[in-house]
Amino acid sequence: MMRTVSAAETAPTIHPWAVHAEGLRVRAGRHLAVDGLDLALGTGVHGLLGPNGAGKTTLMRALATVLKPAGGRLTLLGEPVDARANLRPVRRALGYLPQQFGFYPRFTVREFVEYMAWLKEMPKTAIPGAVQRAIDRVGLQAKAGARMKTLSGGMLRRAGIAQAIVNDPAVLLLDEPTVGLDPEQRLEFRELLRDLGVDSCVVVSTHLVEDVATACTDVVMINEGRLVYQGTTDDLVTQGGEGDAGDSPAERGYSALLRRHRAAAGR
Amino acid sequence: MRRTAAGDRRAFDELYRRTSPWLLARLRRRCADDDVVADVMQETYLAVWRAAGSFAGPATSGSAAGWLWTIAAHRLVDAFRRRARQNQVPAVPLAETVAPAAEDEVMAGRVGQELEQALLVLPAGARQVLRAMVLDGFSVRETSVLLGVPENTVKSQARRARIALREALS
Amino acid sequence: MTTHPSPAMIARYADREADLDEVTAWSVEVHLEDCADCRALVADSTTDDTRTLLARIAASVDHDIAAGPAPERRRRWSAARNRWLVWQLVPWLTMTVAVLGCAVLLQALRPDLPSLVSLLAPVAPLPGVAIAWSRRHDPAWELIAGTPAAGLAMLLRRTAAVLVVVVPALALAGTRTGASLALTLLPCLTFTAATIALGAFVGVRFAALGLGVAWTLAVVVPAVVTTHLPAVMQPGSSPVWALLTLALAGFAATQANNFRRLSSHN
Repeated sequence: MMRTVSAAETAPTIHPWAVHAEGLRVRAGRHLAVDGLDLALGTGVHGLLGPNGAGKTTLMRALATVLKPAGGRLTLLGEPVDARANLRPVRRALGYLPQQFGFYPRFTVREFVEYMAWLKEMPKTAIPGAVQRAIDRVGLQAKAGARMKTLSGGMLRRAGIAQAIVNDPAVLLLDEPTVGLDPEQRLEFRELLRDLGVDSCVVVSTHLVEDVATACTDVVMINEGRLVYQGTTDDLVTQGGEGDAGDSPAERGYSALLRRHRAAAGR
Repeated sequence: MRRTAAGDRRAFDELYRRTSPWLLARLRRRCADDDVVADVMQETYLAVWRAAGSFAGPATSGSAAGWLWTIAAHRLVDAFRRRARQNQVPAVPLAETVAPAAEDEVMAGRVGQELEQALLVLPAGARQVLRAMVLDGFSVRETSVLLGVPENTVKSQARRARIALREALS
Repeated sequence: MTTHPSPAMIARYADREADLDEVTAWSVEVHLEDCADCRALVADSTTDDTRTLLARIAASVDHDIAAGPAPERRRRWSAARNRWLVWQLVPWLTMTVAVLGCAVLLQALRPDLPSLVSLLAPVAPLPGVAIAWSRRHDPAWELIAGTPAAGLAMLLRRTAAVLVVVVPALALAGTRTGASLALTLLPCLTFTAATIALGAFVGVRFAALGLGVAWTLAVVVPAVVTTHLPAVMQPGSSPVWALLTLALAGFAATQANNFRRLSSHN
């Protein structure tokens, strides 16, 4: 079937970064969790690391347009995302998996992903195919007809990933996606991440430095709401030395950077 | 399709018998690697079997062939993505000749003269982009994965194609 | 395209080695998408290795089908049901209907009281509306808040789910106790619109709470104590209620942007 290609689709992209934050400030309750963050992310898989309370989840929420920034500038796919912006076009190209995502227990997996696909305003005829594709990609084919309340933690997480990728987003935000996955599932998930990173901007917030080291093209470290480090995983490894805490080169690099940042902040 | 949704294996086998040669031929013209094509076909028909219930619902329109192609196209892009990481994209170059030979029987009512004019004028890259986006229904991002060219190149070639088409029509 | 390509042309299309120019290939492909007969011709002109390849694929599909579950049976209306039905509202709506039922009973027992149903009508939808718009009661709030459909339209859809239950209940209770239908239904709609409009500034939950408390203290309690129908509920006031509803609804529509993040004043 011949389809028409709109002029908007072929207009040249002027934005250099898929995610661009300048001096971003975001509140979580009364606390300013993200305080003056500068970030520029392009295509690829970016790992977001940092200690608890560093503001990772708040940052992810702000990127997902769930929270309104309190200050600074945030641009997603070239479109500004502030109080007055029209969020609908940007949100159609977004995928988000929150850290604790709630769900409707009586929905089946397929119904849940379909409902989310509908909420993302996908064209109705494309939804069944896209839902099956998302379910296949996360490996939940056997459980597609099961109710959400019967799923184990790892399967629930995978259902959450499925809804995040169902609309083939240009910006994918995953907050702790590997929680509850067994090692084999984690390997499959890293494969999926690498595939997704070929043509979209994926941000994975995680506690496991190993996830980052293997699947991510670059690493972003934040602490106390500010950017500590951004670079490739190889560079992260070079930051650490023998004396630093950690069981792997990446972990040593991570703790070295954290130590240095805390020392600088204490000064 | 409806009977396949009801779990009727024979209806599904019939669907396979009728559509798989066509799908194979079409996929082969876009992918040089037969193993990839076989995988894509397998995943496509499996998806049709599993999700047949949703396809037969009220939201469907268009022919079963259109459906099959959409599913197969997405699986093809996914396969190419996996290989793009290893820099082994098995794309197929377009046909050597663009215009039909004089002695070939003229196919009445074929693709309009305007499109033919536009195709003749365009460079090979733009023709590939045109086929991927207009005929196969891929988005800009998917086309860039399929052809292994950056997105901005895809866009500029699509714009060039549109200008050529507009000129051919006027 | 009503004419079909010749069988020879289709054979050349099916054969990857054969020489076929681009323009013809394009026309053939466009035609094949719609024409089942010509697709059958493609099936006839397959070579032997193509046939083996197709058989191999069929075998692996068979194998995977046998290994997996049977396809689920879907009901046509399940998608629509998922979009409109909001399960967390059910207990609150049941409570509202029960309260209205009690009002009817009380009216029957104490006929000297002013129409309790009309007095309760404005506040009847408020608990349902407050819950429908409440983050804490929607388990999937964070997921939904980032979608393009999140906004005034979705919240209105949920309010409609509330009104679909409350309005008939009010109508039934009203006719049972002989209260004017216009005077029971219109104030209900007015207060719903007022909650949404006010909610654009202070949050729908506070708006519902505030309006509910204000109405109870200012109108319901004096009416019950003095057993007089208050001025605002006199028969002639229905056009005023109708006008207020329209004005508030229009105003709420202008504040649509405030609801983009699924709650006002995030």
